[in-house]
Amino acid sequence: MTIREQYVIPKKYNMLSMVLMAIGLLSIIILFITHGSKSGAENEVVRARFWAALLQNSVYFLLVTNAAMFFICATTLMWGGWQVSFRRVTEAISACVPVIGIITFVILMAIVFGGDHVIYHWTDAEHVQHDPILLGKSGFLNKTFFTVWTLITLIGWSWLGYKIRSMSRAIDDTKLTVEEGRKYMWDNTVWSGVYVVLFGLTVMSCTPWFWLMSIDAHWYSTMYSWYTFASTFVAGIALITLFVVFLKNNNYLELTNREHLHSLGIMLFAFSIFWTYLWFDQFMLIWYANIPEETIYFKSRLQGPYRGIFFLMLIINFLAPILLLMTRSAKRNYGTMTMLCVLILFGHWLDFFQMVMPGPLTDPNTKLTHVPFMLADFGIALGFVGLIMFVTVRSLAKWPLIAKNNPFLKESIIHHT
Amino acid sequence: MALLKYESQVRPPLVVGDKDYHQVTEDICRPVEARPSTLWWIGFIISVLMLLFGVVSVTREVWFGTGQWNLNKTVGWGWDITNFVWWVGIGHAGTLISAILLLFRQGWRTGVNRAAEAMTIFAVMCAGQFPIFHMGRVWNAFFTLPYPNTRGPLWVNFNSPLLWDVFAISTYFTVSLLFWYAGLLPDLATLRDRAKEKWRKMFYGITAFGWTGSTKHWQRHEALSLVLAGLATPLVLSVHTIVSFDFATSVIPGWHTTIFPPYFVAGAIFSGFAMVQTLLLVTRKVLNLQQYITIEHIEVMNKVIVLTGSIVGIAYLTELFMAWYSGVKYEWFAFEQNRVNLSSPYGWSYYIMMGCNVLSPQIFWFRKMRRNLYVTFFMSILVNIGMWFERFVIIVTSLYRDYLPSSWSTYYSPTIWEVGFYIGTFGLFFTCYFLFAKFFPVIAAAEIKHILKKSGDNYKEQMTVVEEESVDQFVHDTAH
Repeated sequence: MTIREQYVIPKKYNMLSMVLMAIGLLSIIILFITHGSKSGAENEVVRARFWAALLQNSVYFLLVTNAAMFFICATTLMWGGWQVSFRRVTEAISACVPVIGIITFVILMAIVFGGDHVIYHWTDAEHVQHDPILLGKSGFLNKTFFTVWTLITLIGWSWLGYKIRSMSRAIDDTKLTVEEGRKYMWDNTVWSGVYVVLFGLTVMSCTPWFWLMSIDAHWYSTMYSWYTFASTFVAGIALITLFVVFLKNNNYLELTNREHLHSLGIMLFAFSIFWTYLWFDQFMLIWYANIPEETIYFKSRLQGPYRGIFFLMLIINFLAPILLLMTRSAKRNYGTMTMLCVLILFGHWLDFFQMVMPGPLTDPNTKLTHVPFMLADFGIALGFVGLIMFVTVRSLAKWPLIAKNNPFLKESIIHHT
Repeated sequence: MALLKYESQVRPPLVVGDKDYHQVTEDICRPVEARPSTLWWIGFIISVLMLLFGVVSVTREVWFGTGQWNLNKTVGWGWDITNFVWWVGIGHAGTLISAILLLFRQGWRTGVNRAAEAMTIFAVMCAGQFPIFHMGRVWNAFFTLPYPNTRGPLWVNFNSPLLWDVFAISTYFTVSLLFWYAGLLPDLATLRDRAKEKWRKMFYGITAFGWTGSTKHWQRHEALSLVLAGLATPLVLSVHTIVSFDFATSVIPGWHTTIFPPYFVAGAIFSGFAMVQTLLLVTRKVLNLQQYITIEHIEVMNKVIVLTGSIVGIAYLTELFMAWYSGVKYEWFAFEQNRVNLSSPYGWSYYIMMGCNVLSPQIFWFRKMRRNLYVTFFMSILVNIGMWFERFVIIVTSLYRDYLPSSWSTYYSPTIWEVGFYIGTFGLFFTCYFLFAKFFPVIAAAEIKHILKKSGDNYKEQMTVVEEESVDQFVHDTAH
């Protein structure tokens, strides 16, 4: 068997990613014209619609691509061997983080410093003065801390990701002895450790509080960040799987086979249930204690206009994977896996949609929220999908497709689930 | 081609000392077949004495009622429930090692799973005592079982997490026991076949359930293991999740927080691994099993400890932060005044918890420390103390000052009989563990044999040829 080490980007694929990006851009422009550009206090909810769509999509796809680096680091720390045969795919996906990171940063800064307080009410200094709850939170919810933490998060992820990717590429031309292999694994373990610590302090702690939970600034839940992590991690695995399947379909990744697909399927299955577990814990405890300050969050989602989306995303994110991925043969089937991965990516996008939208779209007078016409949101999401497609394959084409000298590659080749 | 047995030489071997199948059997069966040492007798007798003290304490509690304990108006849960949660937590490592690590294909589990699973079963047995005797009228304990009864329409309260505990823990115990016992069968059969005395042949003959080692047996055994692992995995999560519900479903400040379930599970694994370390460091030394429970095993478990300790740390800080962020003054009072405030009556316990569970495990970021047996042993004790205090902090500091300051209790401290009950469960735990270590192989010999030709040091040395092969050559070899 000859191994095709060099990935060549197909013209059609290039075209498709650009078309998708164009759709995304067009959707943003249209949404800006119809919503974002409307001035005046009476149009606050209309403008919020525009910014909320940008926020939801950018943060979601940023966290999903960042999950690829978490996947690399977690498997490295556990000294896993099976994933090495498609390691370059995960690396390439994580290369999207700086790009989407910049976009997210611009959007976040525009929302926070734009002078319009339609998304984060805590940015309105005058309003905060009359709101004792927000005033109490101002030691945390303030523009400086928000910006500093966002910068730490984005620069930290991007730089550490770059560092870990270059360590992997640095050995592409040198065959390692066993001793050197140990040294390589040691260095990787150390840097993965650093990354995981940063990950713990950002994704599993402050970052989702800032970016997402502070939309509903009065509301709080200790589970929120872990929940966000679970949501994006399972979507991240789905994204990795999609790229693996795509490359296999184009006759690349000869060393990856159904065994690896099966293992990815197990991860997809396990973390879908893990997400459900966290979802249930958060929901059930709030429901059971029935404290109005907490249950308000689920009012619009469970009993209000978001009811349909709420249950749809539960069906997609829980019922679909648990029922369809239960069997061994399903996890080893390229078709089933592809369909489920697309579904799960969409399902968690919907999850983010119902996390972000109800708050900003609440009418200040009637206190009622509504579900917007979602066509533009789909368009923006497709734009980000196009961007991920575009950036990922560029990284793939730049370096050999196989991490040839990784000490665990041979274990990965004979991986047997 | 022995390629299916290949494992990278970069990985440290999991069995050292140039073993073959026979040697493995010899090493692991020796302690079971030899006479117990003086050290064993001393340990066993001390354990039994502790157990007896526990029996006396519990008997007093049953005879005179819970008034034998210092529980008061607001602190209705004290040492008993603290001990209950602590023991349940310890019971988590065994199932995690046997089930989740089996699904994750972590080879190192084979060295430690048997002892850890046994530990799980004994720990859950200890845990179960506390809520049962906390009932006071223990003869009514069967009221927790939901069945059509002669007590009129008197049913259990299905809305109560305390009842879910009954279901979760009994299921957990059953599955853990089955899993452990199914794993024991091949080893018990080995002991039966090696036995010379009549009673020994009979004992292991009965316990081995007629295992012959036929292909059919192995096939069923593997299938059963996988099914039980699949069942046990959600159980690992569910048991401590439900224990956390005992607190989190309430509206008590310091208890009602959504992060409780996963953080209780992480904490349980944390304390469970600490207890595994404590037991195995002694066991491997006394039974001379250092070649099977190697320093690599110790190091990996220390990594799990630093990971879970840090997860627990993030959770502690998250709930502290949210208590402030929420703007709920009762919640913040529970944290600021009853916990963080060092000069408050129980402030000290919060700092013991933080110090033992979050700060001290951080030394395991250093490889030297992870591989130091003394440090590991000391740390394992420290973590167990810290995790006991975690439950104490959660229970007592949240209860002793309730919403009504006039009922704020006097300082709660246990009576000798409350302490005695706890000591008694240690007695039960170690009595069981000593008996287990004497009559059953503490390492799963059959499973060690399963990984021997892949991870044994002598076999790994023979893999140099494969290791040095080019990838293309390797692929070619595997394909043919």
